[in-house]
Amino acid sequence: MSILQVRDLHTQFFTQDGVVRAVDGVSFDLDQGETLAIVGESGCGKSVTAMSILRLIQAETGRIVSGSIKFEGRELTTLTEEQMRGIRGHDISMIFQEPMTSLNPVLTIGTQIAENVVRHLGVSWQEGLNRAQEMLELVKISDAKRRLDEYPHQLSGGMRQRVMIAMALACRPKLLIADEPTTALDVTIQAQILDLMLELKEKIDAAIVMITHDLGVVAETAQRVVVMYAGRKVEEATVGELFAHPMHPYTRGLMRAIPRLDIDAEAEGRRARLQEIPGMVPVLTQPIPGCAFAPRCPFATEKCTAERPPLVENRPGHIAACWHTDRVLEQAA
Amino acid sequence: MAAVTDAAVPRAPSLLAKTGTAIRRNPTIFFGGAILLILVALAALAPWITGDPLKLTPSQRLRPPSERWWFGTDQYGRDVFARTIHGARVSLVVGLSVAAFASVIGLTLGLLCGYFRKVDAIVMRVMDGIMSIPSILLAIALITLTRPGLGIVLVAIVIPEVPRVVRLTRSVVLSIRSQPYIESAISGGTRGAKLLIRHILPNTMAPLIVQATYVCASAMLVEAGLSFLGAGVPPEIPSWGNIISQGRAFFQIAPWSILIPGAFLTLTVLAVNLLGDGLRDRLDPRLSRRM
Repeated sequence: MSILQVRDLHTQFFTQDGVVRAVDGVSFDLDQGETLAIVGESGCGKSVTAMSILRLIQAETGRIVSGSIKFEGRELTTLTEEQMRGIRGHDISMIFQEPMTSLNPVLTIGTQIAENVVRHLGVSWQEGLNRAQEMLELVKISDAKRRLDEYPHQLSGGMRQRVMIAMALACRPKLLIADEPTTALDVTIQAQILDLMLELKEKIDAAIVMITHDLGVVAETAQRVVVMYAGRKVEEATVGELFAHPMHPYTRGLMRAIPRLDIDAEAEGRRARLQEIPGMVPVLTQPIPGCAFAPRCPFATEKCTAERPPLVENRPGHIAACWHTDRVLEQAA
Repeated sequence: MAAVTDAAVPRAPSLLAKTGTAIRRNPTIFFGGAILLILVALAALAPWITGDPLKLTPSQRLRPPSERWWFGTDQYGRDVFARTIHGARVSLVVGLSVAAFASVIGLTLGLLCGYFRKVDAIVMRVMDGIMSIPSILLAIALITLTRPGLGIVLVAIVIPEVPRVVRLTRSVVLSIRSQPYIESAISGGTRGAKLLIRHILPNTMAPLIVQATYVCASAMLVEAGLSFLGAGVPPEIPSWGNIISQGRAFFQIAPWSILIPGAFLTLTVLAVNLLGDGLRDRLDPRLSRRM
């Protein structure tokens, strides 16, 4: 059963340089208990998509222009601010990228976790603190009772991200949005945090939207992937399918840019070299009539710059927006 | 082996050593605080440690400092020591009350301005208006309109100080609002008064406390200036400003009646500023580079 349905979402920011089409017609579904990864480089609109779901776009700078976001059948885009407040942190929680700055420096850990519990579940402060302690134990923070009275600066980055997770899951949300949850952590801690998130997700049966630019994180955590470029969805498939048969040239570019230890390039007689995607992300204030990736794409033809490619299901359960899927797949084979 | 272990364990530092370390780490807080504490103690105990500051001793006019008159006497034969110590009361009361009132009013307005854009547009224009009026002139105008007294002096000094606190608080609130932890609190469902009071307010405290010390120092100087001009506290209440003002005519033959209260004023303002600088470095190290 689908818990979240995003349909043709357009979120725009109104700046002095013009309208920025940060999210430009994105649609996806998320099933209960599923982990969906949204992948793309900086500025492709993945974080804005997440913020749009929680309606956290600052009204002064931008807004959701059109499209629909249905959560458990409820249309989120038309709810009042008051109703949204009841959903944030209760039914849908969010984990941010920066554990070092995402906790308020002047409030204790216990206060910050208990506050959400008390507000959303209507329990007493003491019960809120008890739940906070339970959650800290759940995220494997040692000596949880003492930690309740500590301040964020007394914790390491990994511990703070654990606290963030505890906070996000304290009200047993049905959907967890994780915006680059491991980007600011070092590699050994990254793996621990990801494992912890997946373990807790099973425990409370939540669905996860994992926003990341790290295909390694995708492979380890997600069942399905949405690849975004310049505010548009360019490809969507299950993880295995996407890594086996990437159909969009952008996805292929991303994959070639990952250092891999298992391919012994030296043995094939050429030097191991990572390939970057040439060019720059397009400026989003100008309307792009064709494929947004065309200027950087080795397969691009005139048709690509003139006409926007539709999302087509070329293989079962695998859709991509590219005019030249055949050539891309052919070259890969 | 055992001996090595013993030597490696540091002994708990004695109280004296701890105090020494604290002074060495924050010398400005310590010295500023110590001078202020002594002054507060002197001012509080003034009626018991000095004579009557208003008592005239015509036979003892313009006496230089001596064993009987520690700080000398003025042209009416009044004890400058008693007057100076009593004058400390006015300065400290003015400094502390102005700092307290200006902080509370400024903090409230600043929080509202930083958080609600519509309030901001209106209140900040009013603040700009107040800031464009010279504070001494505003005070003189207010005081000439009413009966002189400590209360009206306080009001007259608080009004021009408020905009400075409002501007500071507002800018701090604006920068805190864009912090990830505020976004994170909003994404957890916090909004409105709770966000403002529980999440933003405590973060404004460090810069506000530092600003309050500067307001305190500046208020003491303004009060002394007003009293010197005769627009401050009435002459029957000795204040450093009016002591200096009255001693002015006899400066060449009795310089002590100006120099001593002047030295006290300088020392007090210096102590408050030292305390403020020390607190700034201690509470918010980032500010010290900016200011």
